[in-house]
Amino acid sequence: MRHWSHPRVAAGLVIGAWAGLFWFLLATDRTMLYLSTRTAWLVPLGAIIATAAAIGRLASARVPDPQPLGSRETWSLGVVVLPVVILLALPPVTLGAYAVGRRSSFSATTLGASARIVSGPIDFVDIAASQTTEQGQAALRARAGEVVMLEGFVTIEAGDGPDEFRLTRFIITCCVADATIAQVRVVGAPPGSVTGDEWVSVTGRMYPLGNDVLIAANGAPQEIPVPDNPYLTP
Amino acid sequence: MAVDVDRRAVTPGAPTAGHTRSWIYVLGMLVSAAMLARFADPIRIGWLRNLLVVFGSLLVESMPFIMLGAAVSAAIEVFVPTSAFAKIGRLPPVLQMPAAAAAGIAFPVCECGSVPVARRLAAKGLAPSAAVTFMLAAPIVNPVVVASTFVAYRGRSDLWVMVIGRFTLGFIVAMTVGWVVGRVRAGEFLRARDAGIEAHEVRQDEPRWARFFGHLTGDVIFMARFLILGAAIAAAVQTFVPQSIVDRVAHLPILSLVAMMALAFLMSLCSESDAFVAASFVSFGPAAQLAFLVSGPMVDTKLSALYAGTYERGFLRVVIIAVGATTLVATMWVQVVFG
Repeated sequence: MRHWSHPRVAAGLVIGAWAGLFWFLLATDRTMLYLSTRTAWLVPLGAIIATAAAIGRLASARVPDPQPLGSRETWSLGVVVLPVVILLALPPVTLGAYAVGRRSSFSATTLGASARIVSGPIDFVDIAASQTTEQGQAALRARAGEVVMLEGFVTIEAGDGPDEFRLTRFIITCCVADATIAQVRVVGAPPGSVTGDEWVSVTGRMYPLGNDVLIAANGAPQEIPVPDNPYLTP
Repeated sequence: MAVDVDRRAVTPGAPTAGHTRSWIYVLGMLVSAAMLARFADPIRIGWLRNLLVVFGSLLVESMPFIMLGAAVSAAIEVFVPTSAFAKIGRLPPVLQMPAAAAAGIAFPVCECGSVPVARRLAAKGLAPSAAVTFMLAAPIVNPVVVASTFVAYRGRSDLWVMVIGRFTLGFIVAMTVGWVVGRVRAGEFLRARDAGIEAHEVRQDEPRWARFFGHLTGDVIFMARFLILGAAIAAAVQTFVPQSIVDRVAHLPILSLVAMMALAFLMSLCSESDAFVAASFVSFGPAAQLAFLVSGPMVDTKLSALYAGTYERGFLRVVIIAVGATTLVATMWVQVVFG
């Protein structure tokens, strides 16, 4: 005579909850809130392994002499499933202005930045890379005065003038924990047109000034929704 | 009490009143957490938002590796006969450790995945020194990490110092720490599992597939608790400690090495991405960046929680001291030669 083993059923359900989280991230396109394009494959991998593990465990959950699920085990399983509950309940959210002061600046001497900057449209990765290589700086200087369009979130630092703010993006390689900052200074924006953490699109002429890149805004920044890929990957 | 015994006799595995109370408390905790995450509007609280995003990202990235490692570990347990490891175990330690470190080359996962595999190898009879060497070397010497280090430093004059230096120091430090662990903790070094889910996860009279999934789920749940604790601590550190704090010691010979090792410990980055972060510390020389890249995948906040849960008391202390001292000495030589 076989009975359901409560510990086995509970373990299967907890692993199943993790599978549910991974499938949820896939179904709602929220993977990019946590991982880079390079590591996004981990989510389907986790979903498949966790689903198989949960099904396998539940399929073997009927045993001849089941043990009760003890209090300590219950709390253990509760701790394991707690992050799943939090991440499922959390609205879509990204790193913001608070994190800027706590992270180092992006340094990519490795991107062939000058080659990218010589031709195509300029983006944050190019700008950040150009700030750490002499070649990149020279290539960016050669394009000084060109009109660029950049999207990012607003950070306002002490000492910024009333028509100034910083436009910032985080660059991640694997996950948000390794985020580094890419930033430009925007001038000439109508005072009071932006607030901290707001996502905006800025169009203006680009001028490299040493390690700083200045954008002279053409008009007011346009508020935009948080992009599907809020973090950039080099 | 007698009533309880009678009821258990009728319905095996039936929960007692105490167990039911625990279920209610745990359910209450989960519902409260969900309500707070949904309705307390963490987006408006900068530090809380940062904490939750970093915590979530560490887990979303690490859990699949834990699951993959647990699957490999379960396969080793169920499908590989103990005699296979007995042969390796009979090799002299002087050969076991290099072989274990070299085996890491064929295991392209980050540090979270190597812990359950090393645990299983040790449980199967591999010498502690060899199991620890494998666990510490695999996250550094595997081809994916070598390639990511190459990409991160491509175009720099110190490219080969970093790529070859990381691989070589990873190999040397892992073997040295493995040897130290073998000397200090030659006997049983795996922590006994709680008499809980893990204890009755698998029955030897079950078919192989059922045993495989029993070991897989048992390992994932066992490791996940400590990973979650470690990720929470790492996220708190990333939220409250600015990275610029270490910049002041960038040009001081030995302090710069110690500072970068401390930073690697606190940040708990994946070994496949840490080279890109190390490369961003341009004020630090190659030796300090190597200290970051070699010690980080061996000992960090989330790994410490995993080690504490997996191995006997004292193991974590030995590993922290051995990794710290060996990496410091090795990178001091690099500092003398390359700056």
